[in-house]
Amino acid sequence: MSDKVEKKPLWQFGTKQVVYAAIGAALYAVITWAFNLWQIPGAGNVGVRPSIVIPMFFGIAFGPIVGFIAGFVGNILADFLSGYGFWIWWDLGNGILGLIPGLFYPIIHNYRATASIIKGEISVVLGSALGMGLAAISEMWVSGADMNTVIFANFLPAFLTNIVWGLILLPILMVAYAAIMQRSGR
Amino acid sequence: MDRIDPRARFIVSLAILLAATSTWNPTLLAIVFAIAILWYASARLSFKDTKLGWLMISVMLFTMIVVNTLITGGGAGGVVPPGGQLIWPNGFNLFGKHFVIGLTIERLWFAIAQLMRILSISLAFIMIPYTMDSRAYGATFSKLGLPDRLAYTMELSFRFIPTLARNLQVTMDAQKARGFELDARRGGLFGKIRGVAPLVIPVTMNAIVSSEDIANAMDLRGFGQRKRTWLYQLRYHWWDWVLIVFSIVLVIVYMVLAYKYGLKLFSVPGWWYSLFK
Amino acid sequence: MVDQTPPVLSVKDLSFRYHSRQTLAIENINLDLHAGQVVLLAGASGCGKTTLMRCINGLIPHSYNGSMTGDVELFGQSVIGLGLSDISRRVGTLLQDPERQILGTYVLNEVCFGLESLGMSREEMLPRAMKALERLEIAYLAEKETYYTSGGEKQKVALAGVLAMEPDILLLDEPLASLDPASAHEALRAFRKLADEGLSVLIVEHRVEDVLAIKPERVVYMEKGRITYDGDVAGLVEVVDYGRIKLPADVVMRRSQGKPVKQFQPAVPKVDPESEPLVSFQDVCFQYGAENPQVLHGISLDIRAGEVIAILGHNGSGKTTTVKHALGLLKPTSGRVLLQGVDSKKLTVAESAHTIGYVFQSPTQMLFAPTVREELAFGPTNLGMPKPKMLANVEWAIKTVHLEEELATPPLALSFGQQKRVSIASVLSMRSKILMMDEPTAGQDYWNYQAFMDTILQTPGFDAIVFITHDLDLALTYANRIVVMYGGRIVADGTPQEVLAEDEQLHKWRLEPTSLLSLNRTYFERTGQFLRAEQLAQLIN
Ligand SMILES: Nc1ncnc2c1ncn2[C@@H]1O[C@H](COP(=O)(O)OP(=O)(O)OP(=O)(O)O)[C@@H](O)[C@H]1O
Ligand SMILES: Nc1ncnc2c1ncn2[C@@H]1O[C@H](COP(=O)(O)OP(=O)(O)OP(=O)(O)O)[C@@H](O)[C@H]1O
Ligand SMILES: [Mg+2]
Ligand SMILES: [Mg+2]
Repeated sequence: MSDKVEKKPLWQFGTKQVVYAAIGAALYAVITWAFNLWQIPGAGNVGVRPSIVIPMFFGIAFGPIVGFIAGFVGNILADFLSGYGFWIWWDLGNGILGLIPGLFYPIIHNYRATASIIKGEISVVLGSALGMGLAAISEMWVSGADMNTVIFANFLPAFLTNIVWGLILLPILMVAYAAIMQRSGR
Repeated sequence: MDRIDPRARFIVSLAILLAATSTWNPTLLAIVFAIAILWYASARLSFKDTKLGWLMISVMLFTMIVVNTLITGGGAGGVVPPGGQLIWPNGFNLFGKHFVIGLTIERLWFAIAQLMRILSISLAFIMIPYTMDSRAYGATFSKLGLPDRLAYTMELSFRFIPTLARNLQVTMDAQKARGFELDARRGGLFGKIRGVAPLVIPVTMNAIVSSEDIANAMDLRGFGQRKRTWLYQLRYHWWDWVLIVFSIVLVIVYMVLAYKYGLKLFSVPGWWYSLFK
Repeated sequence: MVDQTPPVLSVKDLSFRYHSRQTLAIENINLDLHAGQVVLLAGASGCGKTTLMRCINGLIPHSYNGSMTGDVELFGQSVIGLGLSDISRRVGTLLQDPERQILGTYVLNEVCFGLESLGMSREEMLPRAMKALERLEIAYLAEKETYYTSGGEKQKVALAGVLAMEPDILLLDEPLASLDPASAHEALRAFRKLADEGLSVLIVEHRVEDVLAIKPERVVYMEKGRITYDGDVAGLVEVVDYGRIKLPADVVMRRSQGKPVKQFQPAVPKVDPESEPLVSFQDVCFQYGAENPQVLHGISLDIRAGEVIAILGHNGSGKTTTVKHALGLLKPTSGRVLLQGVDSKKLTVAESAHTIGYVFQSPTQMLFAPTVREELAFGPTNLGMPKPKMLANVEWAIKTVHLEEELATPPLALSFGQQKRVSIASVLSMRSKILMMDEPTAGQDYWNYQAFMDTILQTPGFDAIVFITHDLDLALTYANRIVVMYGGRIVADGTPQEVLAEDEQLHKWRLEPTSLLSLNRTYFERTGQFLRAEQLAQLIN
């Protein structure tokens, strides 16, 4: 492996990024939809979304635009697949959930290092807070809910489940990604 | 619906969204709601196709309206002024017990308004995936002004949905063959969450490895080197223009009424009160 | 044969090192391509074939970082100054896996992808796309969704997408992997026709013998990044190591005379025809959901201890579907499957796993753990094996596949061949009685897959082995029983010599006879069994 640390441009969107974004979005949609079908018991009534880690991971691994599209388009597609319609604010919220980890992308070089994983975890919490915050607040405007409802019925359940899935699964994916990078020498 | 240009379809649906979210005025909401129903009906979707969608929407509406707005009394604070007339000011007797419910006439009306608003949005958008040709997304978004790369991203993700779904199924089968069960109840919450790793990791890593080949395949056929053209033909007909003009007018009228004439605010029509006399 | 016309492509003293590697991937390559020729490029895995192709089609240096010396000239013009889209109009590339190359949801859109990128108008691109489809005789597919095309059709659709750009040079990177023999030959004939029409075709392929059928004008052989042979076919078969690439069987037999042969002793027990079958298919019918057509039509099959069964059959004949029934991943719509006498409907997949270990085609579909050790422990732990026994099995499994040093390595960081062995070991460690493998050798080079199959078959611990393959030679050298499927039915079942007796039959089943098969038939009276070419050489003299 090279000892030079490569420069990672933050806002690049070339062919590779188009593919990562498209694949990330499709993957997010497919996993969400599959878990809706399989329905793991015991997770309560909040939507079981292990897939939420996909936009977070694609952000960390490939940058903010990829992360945003994986979350934003992915959520649109997931809703389409489940026949759920179109909820632009939640889609945007999911996009932000991938965008924020993407902002950490330039400062992560070794995906296995503890420091990188800590950065990843921070980005999960920030991304979930901002993303779900935006989506929940939009409910005040769209369906006229009050602050209390928004916080307790919309924001907190989504925020908490997302960070639980994200905090546990993101490091696992980062370590696996480090392994395939080691193999292909990317 | 097939004869309507996809761009026009997006614009009409978007206009309904904007109009519906601009106001709480009962008459205005009823009008958008009616438009949304017409728009939905014009797509001639069968209930069988959309059944799942409606099921999901019903669940959401139920929790939002029945639980939040009617029973717990939350959910309406932002819009409905406090106070109001109780529907059963003296409570009522049921199974030998005396109940007092804090439901007001205003909040019940609010629930109806909320229902119209959310249903309008659902009606406008639930049909898009059922009526869009997967070949049209790239051309549509590109003509709506998105850069080629972004427009193509949409089309490409559609392309890979079935492939990835199959890969997920294969991985599921491969792990089942190693005795893996998704709902195995061990290890508490943490263990359960880690339990999805054997599925999610192979599928994700496989997808990332494939991405290199996919990107190469695109580069090798000149992707992104010039302004892209699209095989899919988009052509506006007069009726598309009618729809677009109608959409723009709808949004403008609603915005003006809502913000200039103060019709944005929540109100309860008089006849509603008389129902509870 | 010396070609007097100027070459369409000429590679001069080319070397390349990937940015992240210390060593050169290719070194001092010199190569000319002429119009109307088919050139076969062969060589072991990792010798730099794909890297050379990337230098020709411009991916290097446009998409890969590294240091390049030397030059590539297209029609006498250096590619250094050309952009990817200029190169892409002259050099068309077909990648190994069409699934990853097809970008459109519908065939016609896929074929037009490159033309769209060039900014062509609809009026210009439609006729060109149709022409490309007609050239490959697949115009009837134009309005079909790419996802629903078969493996062989996918390959042609991807090729049509490349041809629509009207290139002068065609690069094909392992275009035959995972095609059934008949589809592979159709594809090859299509390549030949294109060359006869004036294209210059460079094929990278491990299935050398198949490619020889279309008489390539030249063969280039690479070893460790260098070209070690460049000439005609007759010369190649004399100089390259016949253990490295698969040469025609008569050549191998002649050249291996008097040389020592590796001993090969399968480890499964002797077949006892009286024993109770381990798995029994009884008139199994199956369809994927009511809206799909029936896929299996009355499959009956018993698998007994001691059998090594190869399942052959065209793409879509139902091989994978059948094997999935054994494990209970699919349940029959009618008929039944018994595992050691118990109906598969009464067993969970996890319970069936005690009897059957199933290795999926691609190791990346199942590897996930942070270390090889944890990967191997996953199966037995799921099955509820007590810890000491589990640890002992993991130990044994890793030794069996010779990867003891890699216990702490992440499986995802290993090479493809090693991953394949880890995936086998992770099934071995469950101590199932039967090993089932779906296309275990696809996409691996000859030497690797032989070493791999030898190891598996000589590994003690399985009562029976079942594998699906498209490689007739693999079936006839390793199996003691061959099952042929055609259109969801078993059309032949017996010893290799019974099943593979007649060429006419084989063609009907979309299988292609091979040189090893005909050689074995010639000597069958004297050998009494089907053998490898090296073994034949030893026995006959
Ligand atoms: N993207 C890459 N980054 C770094 N090294 C690479 C890359 N691609 C290939 N290599 C290395 O370059 C060498 C040549 O690989 P190449 O893929 O050209 O071999 P190949 O002959 O095509 O092998 P195979 O038959 O397995 O496809 C190998 O050592 C490989 O590990
Ligand atoms: N999940 C599925 N849903 C619907 N049809 C399927 C599914 N899987 C396979 N089929 C169909 O069943 C038939 C048999 O497929 P199967 O995968 O068993 O063939 P195969 O012999 O393994 O082919 P190959 O050599 O290409 O792997 C094919 O026509 C295929 O299209
Ligand atoms: Mg290669
Ligand atoms: Mg198969």
